Amino acid sequence: MDDNKGAQSIIEARVRTSSRRADPRDIAHELRAIGRGPAARSRHRDTHVTFLANVLDNHGDARGVENRSGAVACIGDYVARRFGRRKVVAGKDARLAALPWREAGLLPRFGVVDSGDKVSVSYARRAIAETGSIVLESGRDSPVSNSLLAENHIVLVDAADVYDRLEDAWHSGNTDSNRPRCLQIISGPSSTADIALNMVYGAQGPKAWLVILIATDGPGLAKTARDVAAIRARPGARS
Amino acid sequence: MSPAPHTRKGRSRRPKVALFVTCLADVFRPSVAFASLALLKAAGCRVSVPEAQTCCGQPGYNSGDYRGARDVAKRVIGMLENADYVVAPSGSCAGMIVKHYPSLLEGEWKERAQALASRTWEICSFLTDVMPLAAVDQAPEAALTRRRIAYHDSCAGLRELNIREQPRRLLRKRAGVETVELEKRDVCCGFGGTFCAKMPEISATMASEKLRDAIDSGADMLVGGDLGCLLSLAGRASREGIYLEFRHVVELIHDQRSKEGIGASNANETDTQ
Amino acid sequence: MKQTSATFLQNAHEAMLQPQRSVNRQQLGTMMPQLRDSGVASFGDFDALRSHVSEVRTHTLDHLDHYLDSYVKQATQNGNEVHFARDGDELNRLVSDICQRHEARKIVKGKSMVTEETALNDHLMAEGFQVTETDLGEYILQEAGETPSHIVGPALHKPEAEIRDLFLDRHDLGDRELGDAAALVAEARGLLRQRFLDADVGIIGANALIAESGYSLLVTNEGNGDLCANLPPVLIVCTTLERLLPRFEDAMDLLRLLARSATGQPISCYSTLYSGPRRDGEEDGPLETHIILLDNRRTDILASDYREMLHCVRCGACLNHCPVYVAAGGHAYGWVYPGPMGSILTPLLTSLEASHDLPNACTACGRCEEVCPANIALPDLLRDLRQEEFLTQLTPRRWRLGMRAHAWLLTTPGLYRALTTVAVRAMTWLARGRGSLHRLPFAKGWSTARDCPAPESATTFMHQYNSLRKSRHGR
Repeated sequence: MDDNKGAQSIIEARVRTSSRRADPRDIAHELRAIGRGPAARSRHRDTHVTFLANVLDNHGDARGVENRSGAVACIGDYVARRFGRRKVVAGKDARLAALPWREAGLLPRFGVVDSGDKVSVSYARRAIAETGSIVLESGRDSPVSNSLLAENHIVLVDAADVYDRLEDAWHSGNTDSNRPRCLQIISGPSSTADIALNMVYGAQGPKAWLVILIATDGPGLAKTARDVAAIRARPGARS
Repeated sequence: MSPAPHTRKGRSRRPKVALFVTCLADVFRPSVAFASLALLKAAGCRVSVPEAQTCCGQPGYNSGDYRGARDVAKRVIGMLENADYVVAPSGSCAGMIVKHYPSLLEGEWKERAQALASRTWEICSFLTDVMPLAAVDQAPEAALTRRRIAYHDSCAGLRELNIREQPRRLLRKRAGVETVELEKRDVCCGFGGTFCAKMPEISATMASEKLRDAIDSGADMLVGGDLGCLLSLAGRASREGIYLEFRHVVELIHDQRSKEGIGASNANETDTQ
Repeated sequence: MKQTSATFLQNAHEAMLQPQRSVNRQQLGTMMPQLRDSGVASFGDFDALRSHVSEVRTHTLDHLDHYLDSYVKQATQNGNEVHFARDGDELNRLVSDICQRHEARKIVKGKSMVTEETALNDHLMAEGFQVTETDLGEYILQEAGETPSHIVGPALHKPEAEIRDLFLDRHDLGDRELGDAAALVAEARGLLRQRFLDADVGIIGANALIAESGYSLLVTNEGNGDLCANLPPVLIVCTTLERLLPRFEDAMDLLRLLARSATGQPISCYSTLYSGPRRDGEEDGPLETHIILLDNRRTDILASDYREMLHCVRCGACLNHCPVYVAAGGHAYGWVYPGPMGSILTPLLTSLEASHDLPNACTACGRCEEVCPANIALPDLLRDLRQEEFLTQLTPRRWRLGMRAHAWLLTTPGLYRALTTVAVRAMTWLARGRGSLHRLPFAKGWSTARDCPAPESATTFMHQYNSLRKSRHGR
């Protein structure tokens, strides 16, 4: 687009006149000298407890299980109680395929969620304790639609993948081959308060969000998290 | 922190305080200036009232006349800088000198402005943090302790000078008064200097909200440290027919005060509820 | 959007005449600060975070050419087509050209203040495209034919009952009824879901652009941004130059500041980074992605004394805490951006002539500055704009002359004394024993809405004090 090359050079020239026009190495040095920003205050000394407590505060459901069998049992239980049927859709992430679904009597469809599906299951790449978030990276095995289109979104997280801070959501390394097309940091079900400040869930995406942490002391962690979350009563928009 | 000017050279003497009475006290409520004078003397200061004082120049400054504001600032600095301290019964006037004079001026004038700023105080903070006023010996005045008195924080005093606890402490210590707190005490009353004349309807809406807040708190008197806010609220209350007594905080801390509150008249005495 | 900033006072007047909306605004002005306080308190050292980000932003703007260059390189390498637009018209044309190239008919949009600035929807609809706003608040406004009143909750001025009536009127509900807010949301969800699935093009904005990796970041609570960015085959990101940040961690710091300041949440529900088009083997995602970098006076602001205004992250905290905004309402400001930030941006992005009331809609209370996550000295910038009005004679003549006279008088104490003496005597006489004056000569502005308390005595303090001093010395 020749026209646009013109606009580009004009704008770049205008930006340059206001710039200090320093050497890139000096710029990098100056940035490094600014240092790091402060971390959020931690709710609990245990990263996993903090994570689950923040998930609860983000209007999510938080469970802890000891192993993969516990995970599918939890999913089966959740689905049965809500829908009676046992139909779920899971992405093609190898970790999802490797779950012992049969033990819970579940037979998921592995693929992309359709708009009518009720439950979708994802396996998080990482989780962030500071904000109660799970991190999903798009890819061949993980369509983005699976985090958005179904009414209920279940996310599995391995204990080793839980990190303290938001910066840990993506380890870029120095290669650009490590850039997922879409990196989602999800911290709750879909919500809106646009109608007269009334809080409603399921605005466009999932109405309900369940996070299952797989850890050796999973159930204990979840219980402690529930106690921690109960301490802070958060004011919120009228619900 | 450098030692107080009046304790230099190892000798302690009574500090020289220049009282900046403010244009509003000068015109609308001289008793505030007299009360300030008496309180500063009671705190152990030698007080002078510089004759050439007029106004700190905020109205012009806030309306965008920086050049005029600079002229005024220079005159005020020249007039006040010989005192150990400058005290004003107003958060916004003190704030003008402390925060805005230095930012308005350059070079040598900036330095002089900064020097003056370091010695300029709003009166409640001066009588708490610099030359503390002793508590009173006698029992608190019954006429006051029977009242429900709310304190109105002016925005400039609050945000430019961090004045929050000092007036409340003085009211407790000197008048035995425990103030009630307004629910929306951090919200502006709508005076804003020239704002209330430029945008009267919006200003009145804000004032009405503040008055409603005062009434909801159960207060029958509203005191504050800035006459601008108080005159504007009293004027709005009068227009709306709301009965509230308005006074400057120094009036309660001092043991003598004007018979009537701001905007009240002798004729209305019989109308009180 | 047709700009009506020139009639700010009249707009405010109309808003203040509506009792229910006025009450709703007061509720917003009470509730949003409480939410923000809670979010900030739970963070810990929020001030340290603000200072840190402010340093990073200042650094970035100081070297904006370097970071812009890096971003364009990385974003292009990621597979995006990167375009530049000097002004709103250029952006609009670029967007419609892309849509036409793809023979698109249906477009879905995430909330983007930038596209409001350029009036993109009007342009696209005139060209025959169907445009659906997918942010619930924006969708409501689109259906109602109204403009936003708040940058985060654009339809918060509309009571629930009005929205119900709107849906009953505009949606094909058949026999279905609409109950509470949840039912209204569900209704919109159903309709919008189909629009997402049918769309040919998705248009979103960006909260940040990351120079080191070419990512753009978009936050929503609804998830509509992600739906716009993943379902349609073409994605267009419309954004501006000052969104640039050097690194991923800087974007994360921005997230920490933004949600807490806007709604008190630690983070928005969906904080998503997009790098470019669909990769081999992926089942969803846009096949083609475009990024349009808009200037629209940002480079002017960068070169001016108002440069720090480019630090604004569009959180809306200043609106929520501004008593003038709460009293007058967002529509009074007459353009895309209301409240304190709008009173600075509107003159800078349109003209001071067209919006000269806005910098005056301020009592300098300082509450906005107190809560601004970007540490922008908003009251100072507003005052500087008032200075510009004074110098360029936009301030009404009466005021300018009055101010000049005022400054001269203040530096001429003899004359000042004489005038104040006359004024006090006159006011005392006019009051005639009453506590207040109903009318004040030469001060119609004051008198329209309030009485003026009468002076305490017939003489000024300085007169009384000087008399006392003379009598004492004359012993």
